[in-house]
Amino acid sequence: MNPMDLLPMRIEELVHELSVLPFNDLHGTVTSPLTLTNYTFWGLIALVTTILFFTLVATKQRQRIAAAEASGKATDLAPTGRLTGMLEAGVEFVRDMAVDVIGPKDGPKYVAFLCTIFFMILISNMYGLIPGAKSFAGSIGGTVALALVVWVVFVFVGFKKNGAFGYMKSLIPEGVRKMPLAARIGLGGFIFLLEFISTFLVRPLTQSVRLFANMYAGHVILGVFGSFVWLFVPIIKMQAEQSFSVGGAGIGLLAMVFLIIMYAFEVFVAFIQAYVFTILTAVYIQSSVHASEH
Amino acid sequence: MEALVPGLVAIGKGLAYGLAAIGPGIGIGVVAGKAVEAMARQPEMAGRLQTTMFIGVAFTEALALLGFVLTFLL
Repeated sequence: MNPMDLLPMRIEELVHELSVLPFNDLHGTVTSPLTLTNYTFWGLIALVTTILFFTLVATKQRQRIAAAEASGKATDLAPTGRLTGMLEAGVEFVRDMAVDVIGPKDGPKYVAFLCTIFFMILISNMYGLIPGAKSFAGSIGGTVALALVVWVVFVFVGFKKNGAFGYMKSLIPEGVRKMPLAARIGLGGFIFLLEFISTFLVRPLTQSVRLFANMYAGHVILGVFGSFVWLFVPIIKMQAEQSFSVGGAGIGLLAMVFLIIMYAFEVFVAFIQAYVFTILTAVYIQSSVHASEH
Repeated sequence: MEALVPGLVAIGKGLAYGLAAIGPGIGIGVVAGKAVEAMARQPEMAGRLQTTMFIGVAFTEALALLGFVLTFLL
Protein backbone atom coordinates (compact mmCIF):
# COMPACT_ATOMS: atom_id res chain seq x y z
CA MET A 1 0.00 0.00 0.00
CA ASN A 2 1.27 3.45 -0.87
CA PRO A 3 1.70 5.41 2.37
CA MET A 4 0.77 8.58 0.49
CA ASP A 5 -2.82 7.32 0.30
CA LEU A 6 -2.98 7.53 4.06
CA LEU A 7 -2.39 11.27 4.08
CA PRO A 8 -5.38 13.07 5.60
CA MET A 9 -5.64 15.29 2.55
CA ARG A 10 -4.14 15.06 -0.92
CA ILE A 11 -1.13 17.34 -1.33
CA GLU A 12 -2.76 19.30 -4.16
CA GLU A 13 -5.85 19.90 -2.07
CA LEU A 14 -3.71 20.92 0.87
CA VAL A 15 -1.68 23.34 -1.22
CA HIS A 16 -4.89 24.72 -2.68
CA GLU A 17 -6.36 25.09 0.79
CA LEU A 18 -3.26 27.00 1.86
CA SER A 19 -3.09 29.18 -1.19
CA VAL A 20 -6.74 30.19 -1.64
CA LEU A 21 -6.49 33.17 -3.89
CA PRO A 22 -8.64 36.21 -3.22
CA PHE A 23 -12.02 35.52 -4.72
CA ASN A 24 -11.77 31.80 -5.03
CA ASP A 25 -11.92 29.12 -2.37
CA LEU A 26 -11.65 25.36 -2.24
CA HIS A 27 -15.36 24.61 -2.37
CA GLY A 28 -16.28 27.35 -4.82
CA THR A 29 -18.67 29.01 -2.39
CA VAL A 30 -17.15 32.46 -2.82
CA THR A 31 -19.08 34.19 -5.57
CA SER A 32 -18.58 37.87 -4.87
CA PRO A 33 -15.49 39.93 -4.04
CA LEU A 34 -17.23 41.09 -0.86
CA THR A 35 -17.57 37.61 0.64
CA LEU A 36 -15.86 37.06 3.97
CA THR A 37 -13.04 34.61 3.20
CA ASN A 38 -10.66 33.05 5.71
CA TYR A 39 -8.12 35.73 4.87
CA THR A 40 -10.40 38.72 5.35
CA PHE A 41 -11.72 37.21 8.57
CA TRP A 42 -8.24 36.78 10.07
CA GLY A 43 -7.24 40.17 8.70
CA LEU A 44 -10.10 41.70 10.67
CA ILE A 45 -9.05 39.76 13.78
CA ALA A 46 -5.49 41.09 13.38
CA LEU A 47 -6.86 44.61 12.97
CA VAL A 48 -8.97 44.29 16.13
CA THR A 49 -5.95 42.92 18.04
CA THR A 50 -3.77 45.81 16.89
CA ILE A 51 -6.37 48.39 17.89
CA LEU A 52 -6.97 46.64 21.23
CA PHE A 53 -3.24 46.51 22.12
CA PHE A 54 -2.66 50.15 21.36
CA THR A 55 -5.86 51.40 23.02
CA LEU A 56 -5.04 49.39 26.13
CA VAL A 57 -1.51 50.79 26.38
CA ALA A 58 -2.60 54.34 25.56
CA THR A 59 -5.33 54.28 28.22
CA LYS A 60 -2.89 52.97 30.79
CA GLN A 61 -0.38 55.65 29.92
CA ARG A 62 -3.02 58.39 30.15
CA GLN A 63 -3.90 57.18 33.63
CA ARG A 64 -0.22 57.34 34.54
CA ILE A 65 0.06 60.91 33.26
CA ALA A 66 -2.99 61.87 35.32
CA ALA A 67 -1.51 60.16 38.39
CA ALA A 68 1.83 61.92 37.86
CA GLU A 69 0.10 65.29 37.63
CA ALA A 70 -1.80 64.55 40.82
CA SER A 71 1.26 63.42 42.81
CA GLY A 72 3.72 65.79 41.14
CA LYS A 73 6.37 63.07 40.87
CA ALA A 74 7.99 62.59 37.46
CA THR A 75 8.85 58.95 38.26
CA ASP A 76 5.16 58.05 38.01
CA LEU A 77 5.33 58.81 34.27
CA ALA A 78 7.68 55.93 33.50
CA PRO A 79 5.82 53.26 31.53
CA THR A 80 5.76 49.79 33.07
CA GLY A 81 4.38 46.43 32.05
CA ARG A 82 5.28 43.87 29.42
CA LEU A 83 2.82 44.92 26.72
CA THR A 84 3.75 48.58 27.04
CA GLY A 85 7.44 47.75 26.83
CA MET A 86 6.91 45.53 23.80
CA LEU A 87 4.87 48.08 21.87
CA GLU A 88 7.17 50.92 22.88
CA ALA A 89 10.17 49.06 21.50
CA GLY A 90 8.27 48.53 18.23
CA VAL A 91 7.12 52.12 17.95
CA GLU A 92 10.60 53.42 18.71
CA PHE A 93 12.03 51.09 16.07
CA VAL A 94 9.62 52.46 13.46
CA ARG A 95 10.21 56.06 14.60
CA ASP A 96 13.99 55.72 14.29
CA MET A 97 13.52 54.18 10.86
CA ALA A 98 11.23 57.03 9.73
CA VAL A 99 13.67 59.69 10.98
CA ASP A 100 16.57 57.82 9.39
CA VAL A 101 14.94 57.44 5.98
CA ILE A 102 12.58 60.41 5.56
CA GLY A 103 14.62 62.91 7.53
CA PRO A 104 14.47 64.53 10.98
CA LYS A 105 12.06 67.28 9.84
CA ASP A 106 9.44 65.33 7.86
CA GLY A 107 9.99 61.90 9.41
CA PRO A 108 7.93 62.22 12.61
CA LYS A 109 4.83 63.22 10.61
CA TYR A 110 4.60 59.79 9.04
CA VAL A 111 5.40 57.69 12.12
CA ALA A 112 1.71 57.02 12.83
CA PHE A 113 1.08 55.74 9.32
CA LEU A 114 4.24 53.62 9.25
CA CYS A 115 3.39 52.16 12.69
CA THR A 116 -0.08 51.19 11.46
CA ILE A 117 1.41 49.39 8.47
CA PHE A 118 4.17 47.72 10.50
CA PHE A 119 2.03 46.41 13.36
CA MET A 120 -0.82 45.39 11.10
CA ILE A 121 1.49 43.24 8.95
CA LEU A 122 3.49 41.91 11.89
CA ILE A 123 0.48 40.87 13.95
CA SER A 124 -1.34 39.30 11.02
CA ASN A 125 1.84 37.43 10.01
CA MET A 126 2.06 36.14 13.55
CA TYR A 127 -1.55 34.98 13.33
CA GLY A 128 -0.61 33.15 10.15
CA LEU A 129 1.78 30.96 12.16
CA ILE A 130 -0.99 29.60 14.36
CA PRO A 131 -2.22 26.35 12.81
CA GLY A 132 -5.72 26.91 11.46
CA ALA A 133 -5.44 30.68 11.46
CA LYS A 134 -4.37 32.58 8.36
CA SER A 135 -2.34 35.66 7.67
CA PHE A 136 -4.18 38.05 5.41
CA ALA A 137 -0.80 38.76 3.79
CA GLY A 138 -1.00 35.17 2.51
CA SER A 139 -3.50 36.20 -0.15
CA ILE A 140 -2.68 38.58 -2.98
CA GLY A 141 -5.92 40.51 -2.30
CA GLY A 142 -4.79 41.57 1.16
CA THR A 143 -1.33 42.70 0.11
CA VAL A 144 -2.63 44.57 -2.95
CA ALA A 145 -5.01 46.48 -0.66
CA LEU A 146 -2.08 47.45 1.59
CA ALA A 147 0.14 48.42 -1.35
CA LEU A 148 -2.65 50.54 -2.84
CA VAL A 149 -3.02 52.43 0.44
CA VAL A 150 0.72 53.10 0.37
CA TRP A 151 0.48 54.13 -3.30
CA VAL A 152 -2.29 56.64 -2.56
CA VAL A 153 -0.29 58.07 0.35
CA PHE A 154 2.99 58.60 -1.51
CA VAL A 155 1.33 59.98 -4.65
CA PHE A 156 -0.78 62.33 -2.52
CA VAL A 157 2.28 63.51 -0.57
CA GLY A 158 4.20 64.04 -3.83
CA PHE A 159 1.41 66.10 -5.37
CA LYS A 160 0.88 68.13 -2.21
CA LYS A 161 4.57 68.92 -1.70
CA ASN A 162 5.57 69.65 -5.31
CA GLY A 163 2.37 70.29 -7.21
CA ALA A 164 1.22 68.00 -10.04
CA PHE A 165 3.61 69.48 -12.60
CA GLY A 166 6.58 69.67 -10.23
CA TYR A 167 6.12 66.04 -9.18
CA MET A 168 6.00 64.84 -12.78
CA LYS A 169 9.01 67.02 -13.66
CA SER A 170 11.01 65.58 -10.77
CA LEU A 171 10.84 62.14 -12.40
CA ILE A 172 13.42 63.42 -14.93
CA PRO A 173 16.87 63.84 -13.35
CA GLU A 174 18.31 67.32 -12.85
CA GLY A 175 21.18 66.79 -15.33
CA VAL A 176 18.91 65.85 -18.22
CA ARG A 177 16.75 68.96 -17.67
CA LYS A 178 19.79 71.19 -18.32
CA MET A 179 20.74 69.56 -21.64
CA PRO A 180 20.06 71.09 -25.09
CA LEU A 181 16.47 71.01 -26.30
CA ALA A 182 16.74 68.00 -28.61
CA ALA A 183 18.36 65.84 -25.91
CA ARG A 184 15.87 67.11 -23.35
CA ILE A 185 12.93 65.93 -25.46
CA GLY A 186 14.48 62.65 -26.62
CA LEU A 187 16.33 61.43 -23.55
CA GLY A 188 14.03 63.23 -21.10
CA GLY A 189 10.96 61.68 -22.67
CA PHE A 190 12.48 58.22 -22.56
CA ILE A 191 13.57 58.56 -18.92
CA PHE A 192 10.20 60.01 -18.02
CA LEU A 193 8.46 56.98 -19.52
CA LEU A 194 10.71 54.54 -17.64
CA GLU A 195 10.44 56.44 -14.37
CA PHE A 196 6.69 56.80 -14.74
CA ILE A 197 6.27 53.03 -15.16
CA SER A 198 8.66 52.19 -12.31
CA THR A 199 7.13 54.74 -9.93
CA PHE A 200 3.42 54.36 -10.50
CA LEU A 201 3.07 50.79 -11.76
CA VAL A 202 6.02 48.67 -10.63
CA ARG A 203 6.18 50.00 -7.05
CA PRO A 204 2.75 48.79 -5.88
CA LEU A 205 3.16 45.58 -7.89
CA THR A 206 6.49 44.57 -6.36
CA GLN A 207 5.53 45.71 -2.88
CA SER A 208 2.37 43.62 -2.83
CA VAL A 209 3.87 40.61 -4.58
CA ARG A 210 6.95 40.58 -2.31
CA LEU A 211 4.87 40.30 0.86
CA PHE A 212 2.41 37.86 -0.68
CA ALA A 213 5.08 35.61 -2.22
CA ASN A 214 7.06 35.37 1.01
CA MET A 215 4.06 34.54 3.19
CA TYR A 216 2.51 32.21 0.61
CA ALA A 217 5.73 30.29 0.06
CA GLY A 218 6.17 29.97 3.83
CA HIS A 219 2.65 28.63 4.29
CA VAL A 220 3.03 26.13 1.49
CA ILE A 221 6.36 24.86 2.83
CA LEU A 222 4.96 24.49 6.35
CA GLY A 223 1.88 22.79 4.93
CA VAL A 224 3.87 20.31 2.84
CA PHE A 225 6.22 19.38 5.69
CA GLY A 226 3.26 19.21 8.03
CA SER A 227 1.51 16.76 5.74
CA PHE A 228 4.66 14.61 5.58
CA VAL A 229 4.71 14.36 9.36
CA TRP A 230 1.39 12.57 9.05
CA LEU A 231 3.27 9.70 7.35
CA PHE A 232 4.62 8.82 10.77
CA VAL A 233 1.23 8.30 12.38
CA PRO A 234 -0.23 5.57 10.14
CA ILE A 235 3.15 3.79 10.42
CA ILE A 236 2.50 3.31 14.13
CA LYS A 237 -0.85 1.78 13.26
CA MET A 238 0.72 -0.48 10.63
CA GLN A 239 3.30 -1.66 13.15
CA ALA A 240 0.54 -3.36 15.09
CA GLU A 241 -0.50 -5.08 11.86
CA GLN A 242 3.05 -6.42 11.37
CA SER A 243 3.73 -4.30 8.28
CA PHE A 244 6.19 -1.67 9.34
CA SER A 245 7.89 0.68 6.90
CA VAL A 246 11.03 2.26 8.30
CA GLY A 247 11.29 4.51 5.27
CA GLY A 248 7.95 6.18 5.90
CA ALA A 249 8.68 6.65 9.59
CA GLY A 250 12.11 8.08 8.75
CA ILE A 251 10.60 10.59 6.33
CA GLY A 252 8.00 11.48 8.95
CA LEU A 253 10.64 12.14 11.60
CA LEU A 254 12.86 14.08 9.21
CA ALA A 255 9.89 16.18 8.11
CA MET A 256 9.11 16.91 11.76
CA VAL A 257 12.64 18.21 12.35
CA PHE A 258 12.45 20.31 9.17
CA LEU A 259 9.03 21.58 10.19
CA ILE A 260 10.39 22.91 13.48
CA ILE A 261 13.35 24.57 11.74
CA MET A 262 11.13 26.09 9.04
CA TYR A 263 8.66 27.29 11.68
CA ALA A 264 11.42 29.19 13.48
CA PHE A 265 12.51 30.59 10.11
CA GLU A 266 8.93 31.70 9.36
CA VAL A 267 8.81 33.66 12.63
CA PHE A 268 11.94 35.47 11.40
CA VAL A 269 10.38 36.00 7.95
CA ALA A 270 7.24 37.48 9.54
CA PHE A 271 9.40 40.15 11.19
CA ILE A 272 11.61 40.77 8.17
CA GLN A 273 8.71 41.14 5.75
CA ALA A 274 6.90 43.60 8.03
CA TYR A 275 10.17 45.54 8.30
CA VAL A 276 10.85 45.50 4.56
CA PHE A 277 7.31 46.59 3.70
CA THR A 278 7.51 49.47 6.18
CA ILE A 279 10.96 50.61 5.11
CA LEU A 280 9.91 50.60 1.45
CA THR A 281 6.86 52.69 2.37
CA ALA A 282 9.22 55.10 4.11
CA VAL A 283 11.53 55.20 1.06
CA TYR A 284 8.61 55.89 -1.29
CA ILE A 285 7.32 58.67 0.95
CA GLN A 286 10.84 60.08 1.16
CA SER A 287 11.15 60.12 -2.64
CA SER A 288 7.88 62.07 -2.82
CA VAL A 289 8.76 64.50 -0.03
CA HIS A 290 12.20 65.32 -1.44
CA ALA A 291 11.19 64.99 -5.10
CA SER A 292 12.34 68.49 -6.01
CA GLU A 293 15.88 67.73 -4.79
CA HIS A 294 16.62 65.01 -7.32
CA MET B 1 0.17 17.69 -30.10
CA GLU B 2 -2.75 19.04 -28.06
CA ALA B 3 -1.83 16.83 -25.13
CA LEU B 4 1.65 18.34 -25.03
CA VAL B 5 0.46 21.88 -24.35
CA PRO B 6 -0.19 21.71 -20.56
CA GLY B 7 3.17 20.01 -20.05
CA LEU B 8 4.98 22.64 -22.10
CA VAL B 9 3.21 25.39 -20.16
CA ALA B 10 4.34 23.80 -16.90
CA ILE B 11 7.93 23.62 -18.16
CA GLY B 12 7.69 27.25 -19.28
CA LYS B 13 6.44 28.32 -15.84
CA GLY B 14 9.29 26.54 -14.12
CA LEU B 15 11.85 28.02 -16.51
CA ALA B 16 10.38 31.52 -16.26
CA TYR B 17 10.71 31.70 -12.51
CA GLY B 18 13.98 29.79 -12.39
CA LEU B 19 15.66 32.07 -14.94
CA ALA B 20 14.19 35.21 -13.37
CA ALA B 21 15.69 34.21 -10.02
CA ILE B 22 19.29 33.80 -11.25
CA GLY B 23 20.19 37.46 -11.69
CA PRO B 24 18.58 38.78 -8.52
CA GLY B 25 20.06 35.83 -6.63
CA ILE B 26 23.56 36.87 -7.61
CA GLY B 27 22.67 40.52 -7.04
CA ILE B 28 21.35 40.00 -3.52
CA GLY B 29 24.42 37.92 -2.73
CA VAL B 30 26.67 40.78 -3.81
CA VAL B 31 24.62 43.35 -1.87
CA ALA B 32 24.58 41.33 1.36
CA GLY B 33 28.24 40.35 1.03
CA LYS B 34 29.37 43.93 0.52
CA ALA B 35 27.17 45.09 3.39
CA VAL B 36 28.79 42.56 5.74
CA GLU B 37 32.21 43.67 4.50
CA ALA B 38 31.35 47.30 5.19
CA MET B 39 29.95 46.47 8.63
CA ALA B 40 33.12 44.59 9.53
CA ARG B 41 35.23 47.58 8.50
CA GLN B 42 33.07 50.10 10.34
CA PRO B 43 30.85 48.47 12.98
CA GLU B 44 29.56 51.83 14.23
CA MET B 45 27.82 52.35 10.86
CA ALA B 46 26.05 48.97 11.05
CA GLY B 47 22.56 50.44 11.63
CA ARG B 48 22.60 52.77 8.64
CA LEU B 49 24.27 50.16 6.43
CA GLN B 50 21.59 47.64 7.31
CA THR B 51 18.83 50.05 6.27
CA THR B 52 20.55 50.79 2.99
CA MET B 53 21.19 47.09 2.43
CA PHE B 54 17.51 46.24 2.85
CA ILE B 55 16.53 48.96 0.40
CA GLY B 56 19.07 47.64 -2.11
CA VAL B 57 17.89 44.07 -1.60
CA ALA B 58 14.27 45.17 -2.09
CA PHE B 59 15.06 46.84 -5.42
CA THR B 60 17.08 43.87 -6.64
CA GLU B 61 14.40 41.45 -5.55
CA ALA B 62 11.83 43.32 -7.67
CA LEU B 63 13.17 41.58 -10.80
CA ALA B 64 12.66 38.12 -9.33
CA LEU B 65 9.18 39.13 -8.25
CA LEU B 66 8.29 40.19 -11.79
CA GLY B 67 9.29 36.67 -12.84
CA PHE B 68 7.12 35.25 -10.07
CA VAL B 69 4.11 37.22 -11.32
CA LEU B 70 4.85 36.08 -14.87
CA THR B 71 4.74 32.48 -13.66
CA PHE B 72 1.14 32.97 -12.57
CA LEU B 73 0.23 34.80 -15.75
CA LEU B 74 1.54 32.07 -18.07
